Amino acid sequence: MSVRTAARRVGTRTLGALGVLWGAATVTFAALALIPGDIAYAVVGGPDSNPSPEVLAEVRREYGLDRPWWEQYGAYLLRLATGDLGTSYRFHSPVTQLIGEQVGPTVALAVSAAVVGVVGAVVVALATAGRRPGVRGAASGTELVLASLPSFWLGIVLLTVFSFTLGWFPSIGGEGWRGLVLPTLTLALPLGAVLAQVVRASVEEVLEEPFVVTARARGLTDAGVRVRHVLRHALVPLTTMSGFVAGGLFGGAVITETLFNRQGLGRLLLSAVSSKDMPVVLGLVLLSAAVYVVVNLVVDATYPLIDPRLRSAT
Amino acid sequence: MSAPRTRAVATLAVALLTLTACGTGSTTGSTPDAGAFVEPVPGGTFRIGTNGQEPTCLDPHGNASTLGPILNVPFADSLVWQREDGTLTPWLAESWDVSADGLVYTFHLREGVTFTDGAAWDAEALKINFEHMLDPATKSPLSASYISPYSSSRVVDQYTLEVTLSSPYSAFLNVLAQGFLGMVSPKQITEAPDTICEAPIGSGPFVLTRWNKGQSVQYSKNPDYAWGPQGTHEGPAYLDELEVVFVTEDATRYSALASGELDAIEFVPPQSYAAVAGNPQLETFTDFRPGHPFSLWFNTARAPFDDVRVRQALVAAVDRQAVVESISFGEWDAAEGYLTPSTPDYVEDVEGDLGYDPDRANDLLDEAGWTGRDAEGFRTKDGQRLVADLPTTNAVPLRIQIAEQTQAAAREVGMDIRIEYPAPQELSDRDLAGDYDLSSGLWSTNTADVLFIRYHSSNITTPERRGLNGAYLRDDELDGVLQSARETNDAGLRNDLYSQAQERLVELAPGIPFYSDPRPVAYHRYVHGLTYAHGYLSPYFFDVWTAKA
Repeated sequence: MSVRTAARRVGTRTLGALGVLWGAATVTFAALALIPGDIAYAVVGGPDSNPSPEVLAEVRREYGLDRPWWEQYGAYLLRLATGDLGTSYRFHSPVTQLIGEQVGPTVALAVSAAVVGVVGAVVVALATAGRRPGVRGAASGTELVLASLPSFWLGIVLLTVFSFTLGWFPSIGGEGWRGLVLPTLTLALPLGAVLAQVVRASVEEVLEEPFVVTARARGLTDAGVRVRHVLRHALVPLTTMSGFVAGGLFGGAVITETLFNRQGLGRLLLSAVSSKDMPVVLGLVLLSAAVYVVVNLVVDATYPLIDPRLRSAT
Repeated sequence: MSAPRTRAVATLAVALLTLTACGTGSTTGSTPDAGAFVEPVPGGTFRIGTNGQEPTCLDPHGNASTLGPILNVPFADSLVWQREDGTLTPWLAESWDVSADGLVYTFHLREGVTFTDGAAWDAEALKINFEHMLDPATKSPLSASYISPYSSSRVVDQYTLEVTLSSPYSAFLNVLAQGFLGMVSPKQITEAPDTICEAPIGSGPFVLTRWNKGQSVQYSKNPDYAWGPQGTHEGPAYLDELEVVFVTEDATRYSALASGELDAIEFVPPQSYAAVAGNPQLETFTDFRPGHPFSLWFNTARAPFDDVRVRQALVAAVDRQAVVESISFGEWDAAEGYLTPSTPDYVEDVEGDLGYDPDRANDLLDEAGWTGRDAEGFRTKDGQRLVADLPTTNAVPLRIQIAEQTQAAAREVGMDIRIEYPAPQELSDRDLAGDYDLSSGLWSTNTADVLFIRYHSSNITTPERRGLNGAYLRDDELDGVLQSARETNDAGLRNDLYSQAQERLVELAPGIPFYSDPRPVAYHRYVHGLTYAHGYLSPYFFDVWTAKA
């Protein structure tokens, strides 16, 4: 691969990434602008409030809501270009600060759920692929149930059993690893179930390949074959699903954080959407778009590491 | 690249849709322990779980949330304190004089009070607070309109402030007792107003130390506090630390109490009453929020509810007691008028008829000319069916149940109520435009002036001004009575006028009043001294101490 091709490739990628971010910002801006409802009224508290006309006028003036949409959009893009995400309409503090305050718990939750989900899926899939119908069916059936359960309900069941009945884990906003266990499971189980199905399908496909027969003929144990030879092949579809995983984690965080009373971006997003706090919603959408872009760049870079055949292809 | 992203967005959308919010809740129950006096034990931490309606700004003047005062009163004192019986007693104001015309209030302030940033409490501080509430830059959603008759004030001497109103306002002192009008450090208001939302500073028994957004607010003791209101203990708070936790899920809130993760909870959901009563470790008490009961309001500005007979008919068609019993598991009573019993100037036996009487409902509808019937059995007039649109929120299960049971009752007398659940923003737009036949809600405040806010024609929404008279009620007689009650200085006359207003409202039937909203508290037996602040009904922590085994 020449330096020029590499440079061109990086350039295209960067442009693509910027395009995704711009698109996400624009679509969100349009969506929020099109949703009915008086933003100024939502900002001061909606039906709970009794704002005077002066207060509403001040809100509109300060946030530029009295200007035409294209002016608001232009001003927004300009600020964005300088890295300024703006100030929350409702919290009256900078969006970057709000996200900064809430990002930690969400990252901790997402990472632990991703690890548990992915590792669990791989282990279960490797262990059960191509086994007796009884074993395989039981695993696959459980996965289907987990994948189709509403995670809200799953969370309540986990809470009832492990927190309220057994008292093993805290139910509300617990700190440290014990507080993380139930939210992680709520998020990881449905995700892991979907991944396990995908991985098992691909493991079973690989188990039919001639090289597996060769490996067995060389006297390798079944476990050895599965871990040393089959796993690597099965990782390709798993890697492809990283985007799905990232999206599922963020979407699931909205529910999990509310249910378990955790701080985090999901709750921030939910409250921001319902009260039309545009700068916060836009900030969070941009953040998730950025995460998505990065995940995909990493995934593309990872393929050649998993599959040596791809290294020479370019 | 696009397929997974679509999926991610879809997942998020589904996540947002699936999420269900929770309702308001509540109980009848016992009163706080009135047993023998036990020596309070200072120290320790107290954690109470409330519902998920977390405000976005903790400036007392900058929020209108139901949870405003439970969070504000720990750190901010008010000018006056309201006792359980509704009387107003001195707090940061030692006394006050009101001029004969009701226009000038002279406040004599308590000396020796300091804010926790060292600023002194004096006449200048009070003036700065009034101005802060009214400053449009504060974006006050509530306190500014509660003191809208405020015109100016003059510092007479260091501890005397003379406030002049533009028109007499008999509810002025009452609203000053609400946590929404608590006093903030004048130093913070003048030097760093941008920090008040996030980290407000007051003169209260606790210092707000940390706001964990989406989770809780933490406080620690103000050791210098020595100006608790009448009826409370001397000296600083007993507790070292206080934490108010936002627990959105009703079921979680009770379970976290039972498992001991929380020392107390409020807004106990009705489905948990039995569990609380059956749990030997727990105690509970309940009071009902003053103001306007939860109601379905008629849009009296358009057909069919512009005809008072149709409004009276629907009121008579609904068995309100049965509806309220069914939604509260038999725990609450139906409202008997347009004020809740805990509101000052509430009249117990209002003349007039809000009773359940389907025959009367049918007679009234016949009289109003809705005599035809269509294929589905609904009443018609000139070939038009008797329909009413009820757009409401699907976020609160209680409200859905009330809407549906009202729909069923209306059907019995031939009226077709169409319930819709628009998105919150669309609902807000329709409210603004008056595009509904029925709307729902309640309003909690400690004065009968709530009737002015809800039913005076000057509070009808116009292009210039958003008002809370969602019933679009416009009645000269009622306007006159409410205005006079607002302006009188004479408590007896005021009481008379408000009873006239309550009777007139029964005749006008601007809505179906369902229930007084309770604010039940449940706590572990080792908790002592937990009470309410009555200015705006919410749990009060100054006297709380715990004796954990």
